[in-house]
Amino acid sequence: MEALVQRFPGARLGVNAVTALVIWGLLTWVNQVIEPLMSYYLATAAMYATAMFGMTILLGLSGQVSLGNGALMAIGGYIFALTSMNWQTVPILGTPWNAVWSMVFAGFGGVVFGAAIGGIAARLRGPYLAGLTLGIAVGVPAIANRFPELLGGENGLMLQVPYPAGGYTSGDTSDDAVDDGGEVPLDEEPVYEELPDDFGDFEEEFTDEFGDELDNDSGDLSDEDLLTEDDLLSEDDFLSDDDFLTDEDFTTEDGFEAGIDEEIPEEDLLSEDDFLSDDDFLTDEDFTTEDGFEADIESDAGADLDGGSEAGGGADITDPAADLDLAGVDAGVDAGFVIEQWQASMAIAVACVVGFIALNLVRGRQGRVWQAVRDDPIAAAVSGISPAGSKISAFVVSSLFAALAGAVFAQILTYVGPGAFTLGLSLSLLVGIVLGGRNSFIGAIIGAVILVWLPEFVLDVSADRGWQDQITNNAPNFIYGLLVVLVVLAAPGGIVGGIQSLAGRLRGQAKSSSSP
Amino acid sequence: MIDFIDYLLGGISSGAIIALMALALVLVWRSTRVVNFAQLGQAMFTTYVALTVRELTGSWFLGLIIAMAAGLVVGVIVHFLVIRPVKRLDTSGAIIATFGVLIALEALAAMVWGGDPEAFPPPINNSGYEVFGRIWPFSPYDLLVLASVVVLVLALSVVFTRTNVGLAMRASAFNPEVARLSGVRVNRMLVLGWAIAGLVGAVAGVLVAPLSTLSPTSFDIFLVFAFTAAVIGGLDSLVGAVAFGIGTGLVIALVSGYSDSSNAPLVALVLLVLNLLFKPEGVFSHHKARAV
Repeated sequence: MEALVQRFPGARLGVNAVTALVIWGLLTWVNQVIEPLMSYYLATAAMYATAMFGMTILLGLSGQVSLGNGALMAIGGYIFALTSMNWQTVPILGTPWNAVWSMVFAGFGGVVFGAAIGGIAARLRGPYLAGLTLGIAVGVPAIANRFPELLGGENGLMLQVPYPAGGYTSGDTSDDAVDDGGEVPLDEEPVYEELPDDFGDFEEEFTDEFGDELDNDSGDLSDEDLLTEDDLLSEDDFLSDDDFLTDEDFTTEDGFEAGIDEEIPEEDLLSEDDFLSDDDFLTDEDFTTEDGFEADIESDAGADLDGGSEAGGGADITDPAADLDLAGVDAGVDAGFVIEQWQASMAIAVACVVGFIALNLVRGRQGRVWQAVRDDPIAAAVSGISPAGSKISAFVVSSLFAALAGAVFAQILTYVGPGAFTLGLSLSLLVGIVLGGRNSFIGAIIGAVILVWLPEFVLDVSADRGWQDQITNNAPNFIYGLLVVLVVLAAPGGIVGGIQSLAGRLRGQAKSSSSP
Repeated sequence: MIDFIDYLLGGISSGAIIALMALALVLVWRSTRVVNFAQLGQAMFTTYVALTVRELTGSWFLGLIIAMAAGLVVGVIVHFLVIRPVKRLDTSGAIIATFGVLIALEALAAMVWGGDPEAFPPPINNSGYEVFGRIWPFSPYDLLVLASVVVLVLALSVVFTRTNVGLAMRASAFNPEVARLSGVRVNRMLVLGWAIAGLVGAVAGVLVAPLSTLSPTSFDIFLVFAFTAAVIGGLDSLVGAVAFGIGTGLVIALVSGYSDSSNAPLVALVLLVLNLLFKPEGVFSHHKARAV
């Protein structure tokens, strides 16, 4: 492969692209066949790996100990949340907003902050840099408390993740990341208020999202198959605020049942006739080609109507907002996707793109520049390399990766807040990269897997042995701390370095025994 | 104006405690050229020990003494198990190792005592003195803190300037090779430096705990403050650590008073950045910062 690369200078790019694509394909396949819970772990591991590719460059290649990457993840996460919550169109360009744009801006924010921190860091070494970045890791998340209106303060921001159209289902409903919609408190009803608007805008959203892919000329769908305005529920069909039970109705357990019967007159409830019948929906046969994106209209409308019927029927009348919001669950089994799989495929895609960029940087000139400055800054300076420039560029690249990882993290949690981006997050990135091996991307991936796997492993052991919660919850960190010290003492190259030196020793023995 | 005086008075005791923490960092830096990022993790741990002793015996003072002894022991253990073997390798290894110790200690404390914040009530009255018909934000407990810090700093300065051990420690910090040639057992002095730092940190921990609450991570923020003070002071200057420890405490108190206490970490960060940009070798340092 090396010979090939030497003969064709452009081949390096191709080799890296193929590597990234193969890994992406493999992980995507794995994501399709594993349990939803495993997909969730896969998503988290891919997120950690994304951030730790940056740590490989910063700590491994450039030799700078930084604890600031958790804070840079916070910057990426907050930018993603703010742009996705507030932007309908992309500023300046005016094109419709979508999640990719938020990722782009998150990455851009990471670059800007990375350049600023790197500019200071380039003047520092060893403990000074570690201390400064420690201050950043502690101080930056506190900024959220300074701007409670914009950044949500200590409580953070819940964000609307731009899931693909169609309902979704979840393999693990107990997970906080999944059922956020179901926990809307009784006194907040924004989703419920918005619902009629959603119906009105539906055509627009639909065209916005799919743009020119919307192609009715394909002939698969005739106009008759489409729902008309009349088929959709009108505003009057929805229950008004007065129809819902008030707090007073819930005095006793019995009062719950009674309240439903007494407070809502029969005529206010939707009757079966108000709903679309099965015949109104497109059948599977209508979706023969990819152009059949129209499907989303049908399944979505159907899903929401189902949700409406539930709420109106009083099955879950305490929490109409949640039901309408999560309505997709009903239809999602057929039309939608598993939310953990979506999280994983998003995280994998980002990790593979970042990995591809990282491979190109490290295997090219820039990688050698970073190593030269790490090993001997004076010699590097004599050779015409700017040590400061090299350190700054390492910071910028690792900040970019951290910010992208932060944006992925925000989408997995559907939340950003100071509590998500603690000093502990920065420390766990350091732990992961040190354990896995700070000198290679494989080490970063191994570290990411360890960070996800070890707590689960401890949980299993704890379940067997019957440990107390306070032991179970903290044992992973205790083990991390001890392992970090051990690795620094015994195998500074981490797991990858350890395996390499072991393999080298075995090879040496084989050689010496074969040549007497 | 009266606000200004209030904020300054309120910042004195926390400034004095930050001075002690910075002192602990400086003692370790002088002996082994390592910034011990686990220093306040050790202090947190010994403060929990003090809390336990206090709950068992009812004596705050006994808790303090046991915590000081524990701080000494933990400092020596960390030095022998972690720093001495690692130091030969590389500086980034030593930094990472101290963070490893920090992670392990915080987790261990959470496993033993639980992760929830616990109250560590002050041993004496912590409501302000009333003078001229007005309550000032300076309490008998603040006075106790100030007195303890002054006594400890005076004791240390006597040890360092008036005793042979202190001279030997300063010699090993200033130039280990020459000190060794002059018959100083440098390695012992390094261990002693870590031990004294552990003790000083333990005192700081017990004193600071009543000002807020005690939890495994509640000292993280003080690590940032203490590091800031130590670096501005020059990292190897005991006087600088004390002076800028108090200074950092006062600045933080003023900013917290005039704006909001959640600004405190940002203030420390700004101070640190300004210092590292304009006077990276610190104000009281003996050494010139390396250019590259």
